[in-house]
Amino acid sequence: MDQAAVTLESHELSKTYFSTEPPTEVLRGIDLSVRAGEFLVVMGTSGSGKSTLLYSISGMDRPTSGNVTLEGRELTSLGDTEMSKVRLTRMGFVFQQPHFLGNLEVRDNILLPALRAAPKQGREAAISRVDALMERFGITHIRSHGITQVSGGQLQRASICRALAGEPSVLFADEPTGALNSSMTAEVMDAFTDVHRDGTTIVMVTHDPGVAARGERVIYLRDGTVEAAREIGRWEPDTARRREDDLLAWLRDLGF
Amino acid sequence: MRSIAVENEERLYLRYAYNDLVKNKGINAALVVTLVLSAFLMATGSMVLERLAGSISRLSEQGKPPDFLQMHKGEYDPAALTRFAADHESEIDAWLVEEMLGYDSASLSWSRPDTGENGDLAASRIDNLFVTQNTEFDFLVDRTGTVVEPAAGEVYVPVLYQQRYGLTPGDVLTIRTGSGPYELEVRGEVKDAQMAASLSPSSRFLIHPEDFEALGRAGGATPEIIVEYRLAADGDANALQTAYEGAGGLPTNGQPVTGPQLRIISMISDGLVAFALVFVSLVLIVIALLNLRFVIRGTLEDEVHEIGAMKAIGIPDREISRLYLTKYSILALVGCVVGGLLAIVAANVLTHGIQTSYAPAPVDVWTFLVPLIALAAVYVIVVGICRGVLRGVRRIEVVNALVHGSTLDEKQAARRTRRQARWVRRTGLVSSSGAGINRRLAVLDLRAEGRAWVLLPVVFGLTAVLITLPANMVSTFESPRFVTYMGVPERDLRADVQFQEDVDGVKDRLVTAMEDDDRLTDVRSYASVDYTADSEDGPARLRVEVGNRPDDGGIRFSQGGLPRDGQIALSVLNADRFRVGVGDDLTIHDGDQSITVQVSGIYQDITSGGQTAKMSGDVTEGAAAYTVFADLAGDGADPGGIADEYDEQFPTGGVKPTQEYVRETLGVLIDSMRAAAWVALVFGLGVVVLITSLFLKLRLARDRSNMGVLSAIGFSAKELVGQVRTKTLLVVAAGTAAGLVLAATAGQSLASAALTAVQLGITDLTFIPNPWLVYVLYPLLLLGAGYFGVAVLTAGVRRADKSEWIRR
Ligand SMILES: Nc1ncnc2c1ncn2[C@@H]1O[C@H](COP(=O)(O)OP(=O)(O)OP(=O)(O)O)[C@@H](O)[C@H]1O
Ligand SMILES: [Mg+2]
Repeated sequence: MDQAAVTLESHELSKTYFSTEPPTEVLRGIDLSVRAGEFLVVMGTSGSGKSTLLYSISGMDRPTSGNVTLEGRELTSLGDTEMSKVRLTRMGFVFQQPHFLGNLEVRDNILLPALRAAPKQGREAAISRVDALMERFGITHIRSHGITQVSGGQLQRASICRALAGEPSVLFADEPTGALNSSMTAEVMDAFTDVHRDGTTIVMVTHDPGVAARGERVIYLRDGTVEAAREIGRWEPDTARRREDDLLAWLRDLGF
Repeated sequence: MRSIAVENEERLYLRYAYNDLVKNKGINAALVVTLVLSAFLMATGSMVLERLAGSISRLSEQGKPPDFLQMHKGEYDPAALTRFAADHESEIDAWLVEEMLGYDSASLSWSRPDTGENGDLAASRIDNLFVTQNTEFDFLVDRTGTVVEPAAGEVYVPVLYQQRYGLTPGDVLTIRTGSGPYELEVRGEVKDAQMAASLSPSSRFLIHPEDFEALGRAGGATPEIIVEYRLAADGDANALQTAYEGAGGLPTNGQPVTGPQLRIISMISDGLVAFALVFVSLVLIVIALLNLRFVIRGTLEDEVHEIGAMKAIGIPDREISRLYLTKYSILALVGCVVGGLLAIVAANVLTHGIQTSYAPAPVDVWTFLVPLIALAAVYVIVVGICRGVLRGVRRIEVVNALVHGSTLDEKQAARRTRRQARWVRRTGLVSSSGAGINRRLAVLDLRAEGRAWVLLPVVFGLTAVLITLPANMVSTFESPRFVTYMGVPERDLRADVQFQEDVDGVKDRLVTAMEDDDRLTDVRSYASVDYTADSEDGPARLRVEVGNRPDDGGIRFSQGGLPRDGQIALSVLNADRFRVGVGDDLTIHDGDQSITVQVSGIYQDITSGGQTAKMSGDVTEGAAAYTVFADLAGDGADPGGIADEYDEQFPTGGVKPTQEYVRETLGVLIDSMRAAAWVALVFGLGVVVLITSLFLKLRLARDRSNMGVLSAIGFSAKELVGQVRTKTLLVVAAGTAAGLVLAATAGQSLASAALTAVQLGITDLTFIPNPWLVYVLYPLLLLGAGYFGVAVLTAGVRRADKSEWIRR
């Protein structure tokens, strides 16, 4: 693998929860390299540690051991404030459930991280960037809506806008289509593909082989370790069917 | 069959309650602690009051104090007293004239021959009265309630002195008389039903008649008498007082006191702390109830799915409520039991002093019933309110609960969505950026969810009232300006020339000396002249202070103003007694002469039992007593030093700094108010910390997912804590500010109402706060308590795995 192009890397990353008896070892020494601009899909059985991997990489949770580098910078030694700044400026998140602040309208929710990151002079730039993103993902008309007044697909697209508003180098997504029906899923995945095409690095957890087929590389977690990995190349609409079947066969071999 | 079902049900409720108690330990512990504190203070206050009332009664039974008494200094006509007694034979059961020798504290000292220890009694009360034992009633008794008879050369000291100076039998009490020191051996201490109150300005020492004779001959004492009456079974003390004062020719140069007044004074001076405890507990109960309401509502929201499910399978609302109510009943019960047990300990400590000044109260059924009733009331109120809040269960609709997880019905939910949408459109983030966004978010949150936060400001407001009210009382009573509530102008020096052979001469010489002294200015003298006037029960004595009064430095007129010629100003209680208001005419009699004067004003005065009056005029001789006031010329001069000089030169002139006069009169009252203020402060702050913690614990639990979102998008733990802190401190500050305003307005009226009720002579108190304390230190303490609560409750936030906040 071309070292210069690696943007996100984990080494011997482990996470153990000591709150249980016996302690739960959720991640057991995960080595991971994500190239700049890559679309990595993380799959695995339920409880295999996929979400934990995302939270540990992004510093929301403290890994028990091992380390993470982003764009050459060691992250695990950072304090909470610096780590938060990394999340604010270099990472974006999309969750399965759309997590938004109920007291803010859709647009303000999207603006929140961008405004937090922007210096006073940068405010106007942040606002126009967000407006452009909303335009692009077709949610401009719901900008002044409350969170409870819009559909799940719209909310998930709003999540993507929020995640992108800070121009992150990595976009994390944890089962972003898990709560959506199939037409909404397609809608949201088109958005991801679009973002990827712009050159954004994406790390996405999913259970859905059809969604996973959108990625370039799939890794399979079991019991906190990477059991298998598979390069599947860039997604194109006309090869979608075949990629999906191919992936399914691979997954079936892994016991999915 | 049925009974088994009921039993099973009971067990189900208990098991549910138990599970909940274990699951939410922190919250339940905080609830219990507030309930324990409320119950504790309520029980302690009521126990102390019951014990005090019992102690007072017990000592009354032993000492048989008079139902009406009149103090008097100077000459009197014994035949007139006999005539009066004969005229009122049917009302009077017994009467006596007690002769007393009064010494000021400087004349008394004690020593212990064995060790050579000694000291004076300078810190004691104004009047030290030496008496012999009475034969019919008004006895001085020992610890066991026995009427003691000292042998010659022996003295029994008031129990208060014995305590304060640690006097033991065998110590020697030395009296400085006009012809050298006179020594008596301390035999023990006596309790005095008449002068037991810590507010009582005088104390009685018991000696043998031989020593009494000898002391009388030795000189240096002020002879005084108390004319005392025991009433027949259905006698009325007030009617007797009126009759006595209207009779004419009877000794009246001193304070009249009735039996009920004696009791009130005792209850006020020694029960004040207990009253304060009850007041504090009432506030705490309100806080506990608000708190419960908050928690119950939160629980219903959290468990709406379960409630919906129970409803869906047909469990009646009443039983669902009972499921929850069981837990709160248990908490309330635990609170009352633990609070009650703690109260037993506290009440024992607090009544110790009472038991020494008064008599050990007999233990009877009320001893147990009073605190039990108080506790039962707390329990019933708490459970009742919980039951009320739990009615909310009825309003929960199955579909909304199960599908939307909402306690609201269709209409309410729609209304809420509309409100939220409207709100969201009105507010924007756009104006802020960078770290300033944290403050913006905090404010938006508060504005949107103000209702959820309302507990904190209310609790802080109530607590602010709770702690500032007693502090304001203390500072008011302690303030130099408080003399104006004593019918006294704000002057530096005061002299009371009274009860001696040559009152006029002493007064003239004193006034001349003062006028010649450049250190003093504005020397003014007032004469006390006795009149009678018609009260509701017939003619009664009215002592009037007559003098030239161009102004009277800030006497507290509640209506009207200073008297001009032909006018009179009355104290509040006298205006009441003679049933007149400002502008009314009052006819006053001096022997056969009558004059009609118009009431110019009504002022507040707590001296002389609150019964005083003022007229304008020039009386230079023949008055019963004179009061002389003077101001210091320079600012830095020490009134104490000058007063001492004059006291040397005019030993019978009674020259004192005005402030000392206040301290002597009110010192004990101020001390107990200060104790009450401390109690309020300590408990207030404790409760505030507790409630803040409990509130934040619940609030943070509810805010977890929002905090998780913010953390994911890059807000640091420090910022999240900062938002919580901002919100908390904002509501705490708002609540505290509101509380301070409330204390200054409604609190002042409340204090005035309480003072009016006890008939002290104050009806309209204006607080003289200590601004540093009440408007700087206390608010800072409250904010600090809020800050502390935030710090404790958010301590875990930094270390937490933030993903837990957004995982389901
Ligand atoms: N705070 C915690 N304490 C103890 N164990 C935990 C904690 N959080 C997660 N786990 C455990 O860690 C394991 C991995 O959880 P994680 O959410 O990462 O799995 P996942 O692969 O994302 O599963 P899913 O596909 O269901 O989302 C699970 O067994 C879970 O029970
Ligand atoms: Mg997961």
